[in-house]
Amino acid sequence: MLHVKHLVKQYPNTEHLSVDDLSFSFEAGKIVGLLGPNGAGKTTTISILCGLIKDFNGEVTLLGCNVKTKLQDLLHKISIVPQQIALYPTLSCKENLMYYGRLYNIPSKSLKIMISDYLEQFGLHDHADKQIKNYSGGMKRRANIIASLLNKPELLILDEPTAGVDVQSRSMILQFLKDFNAKGNSVIYTSHLLDEAESICDEVLIIDHGKKVIQGTPQELIAAHQTDNLETLFLKLTGNTVRD
Amino acid sequence: MKRIFATYIKEWQLIRRDLGGLALLFLMPVLLITIMALVQDAPFKDYKDLKFEALFLNQDKGKVSQSIKEGLLKSGQFILIESIDQKPLDLNLTRKLVQDGSYKLAIVIPAGTTAEIVNSANQIANEIGKKVGIPGSLPHRESRDSLSIDVMFDPVSKPTFRVAILNAIDKFTTRIQADIVLERIGKLNGGEGEGQDTSFNFEEKLHALSVKEVSSQQQKQKISMMNSVQHNVPAWAIFGMFFMIILICENIINERTQGSWTRLKLIPGSFSHILIGKMLFYVLLGIIQFYLMLMVGVYLMPYIGLPSLHLSETPFLLLIMVWSIAMCATTFGILVGTVFKTTQQALPVAAMSVVILSAVGGVWVPVEVLPSILKNISLISPMRWGLQGINNLLLRESCWQDILQPVSILLGGSVITMVLAWWVENRRKG
Ligand SMILES: Nc1ncnc2c1ncn2[C@@H]1O[C@H](COP(=O)(O)OP(=O)(O)O)[C@@H](O)[C@H]1O
Ligand SMILES: [Mg+2]
Repeated sequence: MLHVKHLVKQYPNTEHLSVDDLSFSFEAGKIVGLLGPNGAGKTTTISILCGLIKDFNGEVTLLGCNVKTKLQDLLHKISIVPQQIALYPTLSCKENLMYYGRLYNIPSKSLKIMISDYLEQFGLHDHADKQIKNYSGGMKRRANIIASLLNKPELLILDEPTAGVDVQSRSMILQFLKDFNAKGNSVIYTSHLLDEAESICDEVLIIDHGKKVIQGTPQELIAAHQTDNLETLFLKLTGNTVRD
Repeated sequence: MKRIFATYIKEWQLIRRDLGGLALLFLMPVLLITIMALVQDAPFKDYKDLKFEALFLNQDKGKVSQSIKEGLLKSGQFILIESIDQKPLDLNLTRKLVQDGSYKLAIVIPAGTTAEIVNSANQIANEIGKKVGIPGSLPHRESRDSLSIDVMFDPVSKPTFRVAILNAIDKFTTRIQADIVLERIGKLNGGEGEGQDTSFNFEEKLHALSVKEVSSQQQKQKISMMNSVQHNVPAWAIFGMFFMIILICENIINERTQGSWTRLKLIPGSFSHILIGKMLFYVLLGIIQFYLMLMVGVYLMPYIGLPSLHLSETPFLLLIMVWSIAMCATTFGILVGTVFKTTQQALPVAAMSVVILSAVGGVWVPVEVLPSILKNISLISPMRWGLQGINNLLLRESCWQDILQPVSILLGGSVITMVLAWWVENRRKG
């Protein structure tokens, strides 16, 4: 489903490579964790995968579409949940969702039904007409995810979806990812929360300084390196130095 | 089409909740129009419509100074003040009061004026009498040439004001002199009254040819002369429309920094739909704003004692003109919003550039009175072209050829601005 070959990215006016000759591939139908410390290159890699960053070296193929040549086709099949809340703060949740849904050319009637279902599922039904700026952090995250589901993606890419949210929101989000995956869809998500990744990921890829460190199922990796959990493995591989 | 419309709706929902933005858009221009129209009301009025308090120091006490006084009073332009606190004026007091700005002007009639004018009138009458063969001679002596009616001005008064006042006084004195000459000629032939034909009005004949201003336009009923309202309403309405760029660049920068931009770019389909929806919204907003300001000019101005705005007889051309101004303002806002990364950077630049472009574009004072270097600079101000086009429509009887130049310059400018914004946006991508 996802093939990345010799991916290299250097931002203009920077000295180091943000992504340094990264190659990996994943099968469809899995929950994949892209893990790494701050500044490892997770967001950059994801931005390349979905075509937000166009200026890079290497080859990226998702769901049979080359990102450089068949981006429009690809965008119908994938969706990204940005790290930042990509919603209009002064619009209500419903207004936001209606707008993005209309941009996907979804007929109004089915859009309304879909939005109502998702709001129910994510526990936002009673807050549908509240402005996003009045939402709590967890509610914003959930709304941010709903906005990325409107095009019924086969592959959902999430950038730190559980960073800084309350326990209830987090468990709701993780449960959703499992359900979503159970329907045969794929998930790629970045995190620096290792216990969370260990519990829901079928496979993880750890990167640091833009380079691949290791790839495999959490169980495989823990066993191979004789550690107790993913977190100790992670520290062993990426070191103890604090990243900013 | 659906995507364009959806974007339009979204922009409306955004602006509806932005009370500060709405105030900036609608209240600010109303305030500006009202205040500027009131402030500039006086300078735009001809001086003949105004009444001035003038110190009148009469040292002559003769018949002539009396006539001058009556003439000045009759003209209705002057309120003559001859004493302060029951004390009659003297030359020093008069000088002081004008010097310190208590009064804008003083008129000093020197002693001996009557005698001097009668003397020269007698000379003229004698000369004419000799030429036409009327016998008799009126007494006279050599003329003195040092005698003059002195007018003092407040040092800060404007040259145009001085010229206007001097001309008015000159006109009265000339007229009085002429009247005296006529009277003297009548006296040449001996007795008063006998030889005079009372039904013949010398004065009326003498002033048979007068000068008066008429409209240069064909339509006789509409003499739409430039006044404060006629200048300020369109000018500040255009200014208000350009102030919209503050809202637009704030909107664009917020969209980008708040992450919605990322989402928008990840939605398949042409980005131009989103851009067109946005432009459509702001262009329409600008047009609505402009017409509301025109309504303010028509209906509100009379309430504050100003003339009502005279509207164009070519509403369709006006709409085209307004549309092209709104296009230009919108694309300018998009460019500023694209170039700058944060609203803290963009907003001061946007506000300053609008103020500068308005100053050189003839919003504050008409372009015609700007120094020539600014006149040349004004060519790059979209507000200049907007104002020119609107004035062509409101003040001159224009046809489409008259707005062709401003409209094409504004639309051309919009296209260039959009190309620039597109270029900047593409360079930004990492
Ligand atoms: N727009 C940018 N311009 C320059 N450098 C950037 C930019 N975005 C990220 N970087 C750099 O690239 C590296 C990887 O960043 P990022 O992909 O955001 O890491 P992560 O998401 O794993 O925390 C970091 O060193 C970061 O400073
Ligand atoms: Mg990141």
